[in-house]
Amino acid sequence: MSNPFREDLVSRAQPKACTVVIFGATGDLTHRKLVPALYNLLVDGELPTGVKIVGFARREKSDEEYRDGLEEINREVSRSGHEDALWKQFRECISYHQSEFQDGDGYKRLGERLDAIDRERGGQGNRLFYLASAPEFFDDILEQMRDAGLNEHKGECWSRVIVEKPFGTDLPSAQHLNTIVNATFEEKDTYRIDHYLGKETAQNIMVLRFANAIFEPIWNSRYIESVEITCAEHLGMEGGRGGYYDKSGALRDMVQNHLLQLLSLVAMEPPTDLSADGVRDEKVKVFRSLRQWDTPELVAANVVRGQYVAGYVNGQEVIGYREEDRVDPESMTEAYVAVRVMVDTWRWSGVPFYVRMGKRLPKKATEISIHFKEVPGVLFGALPGGLPGGNVLVMRIQPDEGISLRITSKLPGTSLRMEPVKMDFHYASSFGKSSPEAYERLLLDAMAGDATLFARRDEVEEAWRFVDHIERAWHQSEKASPMTEYAAGSWGPREADELLAAHGHAWRRL
Amino acid sequence: MTAEEEAALGLEVPVDSIDGELRKLWEADEASTNASLMNLALYSEDPESLRSNSEAALQLTREHACRALLIAMDRKAPEASIRSWITAHCHLAHGKKSVCCEQLAFLLSGKATGRLRNTVFAHMASDLPLVFWWQGELSSIFEERLYRMIDRLIVDSSGWADPVAGFERLEEALTDARNWMVLQDLSWTRTYHYRLSVAALFDDLVAQRALGEVNAVRIVAQPAHRTSALMMLAWLATQAGWRTGLELGLAAERAAGCEECFVFESREGGSITARVAWDEEAAPLGVVEIKAPGCTVSVRREPGAGYLQQRLECPGHVVTQSGPADADSPWELVADQLSRGGRNSLFQKVRPTFMELLGSR
Repeated sequence: MSNPFREDLVSRAQPKACTVVIFGATGDLTHRKLVPALYNLLVDGELPTGVKIVGFARREKSDEEYRDGLEEINREVSRSGHEDALWKQFRECISYHQSEFQDGDGYKRLGERLDAIDRERGGQGNRLFYLASAPEFFDDILEQMRDAGLNEHKGECWSRVIVEKPFGTDLPSAQHLNTIVNATFEEKDTYRIDHYLGKETAQNIMVLRFANAIFEPIWNSRYIESVEITCAEHLGMEGGRGGYYDKSGALRDMVQNHLLQLLSLVAMEPPTDLSADGVRDEKVKVFRSLRQWDTPELVAANVVRGQYVAGYVNGQEVIGYREEDRVDPESMTEAYVAVRVMVDTWRWSGVPFYVRMGKRLPKKATEISIHFKEVPGVLFGALPGGLPGGNVLVMRIQPDEGISLRITSKLPGTSLRMEPVKMDFHYASSFGKSSPEAYERLLLDAMAGDATLFARRDEVEEAWRFVDHIERAWHQSEKASPMTEYAAGSWGPREADELLAAHGHAWRRL
Repeated sequence: MTAEEEAALGLEVPVDSIDGELRKLWEADEASTNASLMNLALYSEDPESLRSNSEAALQLTREHACRALLIAMDRKAPEASIRSWITAHCHLAHGKKSVCCEQLAFLLSGKATGRLRNTVFAHMASDLPLVFWWQGELSSIFEERLYRMIDRLIVDSSGWADPVAGFERLEEALTDARNWMVLQDLSWTRTYHYRLSVAALFDDLVAQRALGEVNAVRIVAQPAHRTSALMMLAWLATQAGWRTGLELGLAAERAAGCEECFVFESREGGSITARVAWDEEAAPLGVVEIKAPGCTVSVRREPGAGYLQQRLECPGHVVTQSGPADADSPWELVADQLSRGGRNSLFQKVRPTFMELLGSR
């Protein structure tokens, strides 16, 4: 049976009514991101009619207490503000289910509750489970769900799971998690969320590359000198995040997932179609083509790790990484990492991708810059001042999302002198309307069964394979490269500059 | 125009100096960013419209960076003249950067109204699409050499004295093989969230099962929004596969005094009676109700409310939800329409049925 009124109405896969069950329902992610995202979808008229939300967590709470807590935070953080009349109706869709994650009876009761909701909804039993708890509970939750039969499709109704990162801490743990997840849910029903892929500019990478005829012909080693992917954060370990971060580090926290995902979008071949697997097949080929830095010597030559020492950020004095709250004073966890990544494909042969991520850098910025080769110096190279450098195409992911292109222009005057000028496109200037939050888009996609913007199992494992070599060289080798230092508020360690200088490159000034 | 109204349009400049004066405007303020994604023409044959259209442009440029071209015609003026003004609408983007959009206003009087194309369109930003918001009735100025320049034409048929004639005129433009113009009628835009709401309610399997048994439709709208009501009905009929042409049933309804009644045949062969009722006090589109034996799907909007109430009521199964309502003011509808873009292919699909309903009274 289909709904004829849906035909031609909106140009996206149609999300279906479902019950969203959030494990870890009392956590920050649920309060600050997930529930506000669902509320904003309702405000925009995008939330399918009949969506219910069940929060699953260990603390004792009534439905009313739970809803009140969500309301308080929604008032603070909701993108579209907080409308009492709408919230009043929205809160009625929310209920709270108390249970330990290991308690089989709690899942049985959850199943009964979901069945009752399905009956109220006229028998439509689509279910979307969201694992927003701490990752150590994923095993228990998934096993208990399987035992309670919550993973089963009923007739045409689906049962899907969204898994929040981290997808493991290394390759074996990722494989273990994937095995557990896929023992409960088929891969086609598994949605590994990487909120970077839900960002407007990340989605725009494919549009920029494949919907504009001028870029694809020059998107290769013949014209591109290097690619830089930078994620800079000015924050340190505020709010007690040192406890988590010190066990993770920049490489595992950001590079393995977000930054390698961005890299794959830049480096992938054109997909045969825009289907989820069409796109992800091409992305995984990029991961498989990453040259492995699988000896300590290769890691030392291609990767730099660092920790910040005391310095100044935005004029404020800040302490060093090892002095941060909940960080081991002798920690060997990197707060900064720069990696020279080589993608061994015909297209990218010899083109380095420099990926860096650091805490306590001068400002917050995530961007991808494509550095084109310089023109031959035959015409202008001999002029005073020479050529001011090659063209650079920059895709700003956050903040100030947009695209700029650096081109060379003649300075006005009677003599022939050249300077770089920038053509700049800002989303905020051209499109006044704010973009939906990444979680809004991704939740809707999961309800619609569109997994394009979610990571597939093989992508995750291939990314871990690359990262694990580096981690092993750092932590299990006697020839481990040293932990470098940089002053908080600087652009990272000198060794990271030297990493590029050794290949005739330099970091782009952000 | 009063002096105050003229001042609101900015600096009056000779038509042949517009480009130079615009340059000076930008040179005077280095702190602002000039952004433009389209040429947006706001056209009216009311000579007093420039002031209100400048307000509309101010609002529209908050979300849609454009070069705004305000055009007012005074066709009855005895003397031929063209006056022009320039200004910029500036807004803080996300509370930070000042982003500005240029506005060029033109008042064409007397015989100079014939110089619309070569005067006004000489000042479009190059390489950007032309969105043309035609306010009021289509006049003789709407002709081939004009509409072939337009990428997106926005009209509001709710204000037309003779919508049949207006749509026939548009048909000519749309069937012109060399014309790629996309047509957007604000009357259709007014039904957008109603259509989304109806579709959302029919996602429910219980409602879907009842669709084949639908036997009545009721729409309540303001009399001024007859075209919206009929477009809504045409959309229901087109999407559900209801057939028009049951003349006997229709004659019976009309004989019983129902002026805006329509009879359809469902895919299953059942008869469906649709009644459109007018209520001055209602929202522009107040109620859309679809009935099958035992089941009712309804979408309502209380006058002045910002939200639609969606309701599905079947035995033992009631679903209610709220959703956003369509905007009321024309400029907000234009803003919504610009956000959605597209080729408006659904409207093209519904148009034949709509024309049939429109002409049947």
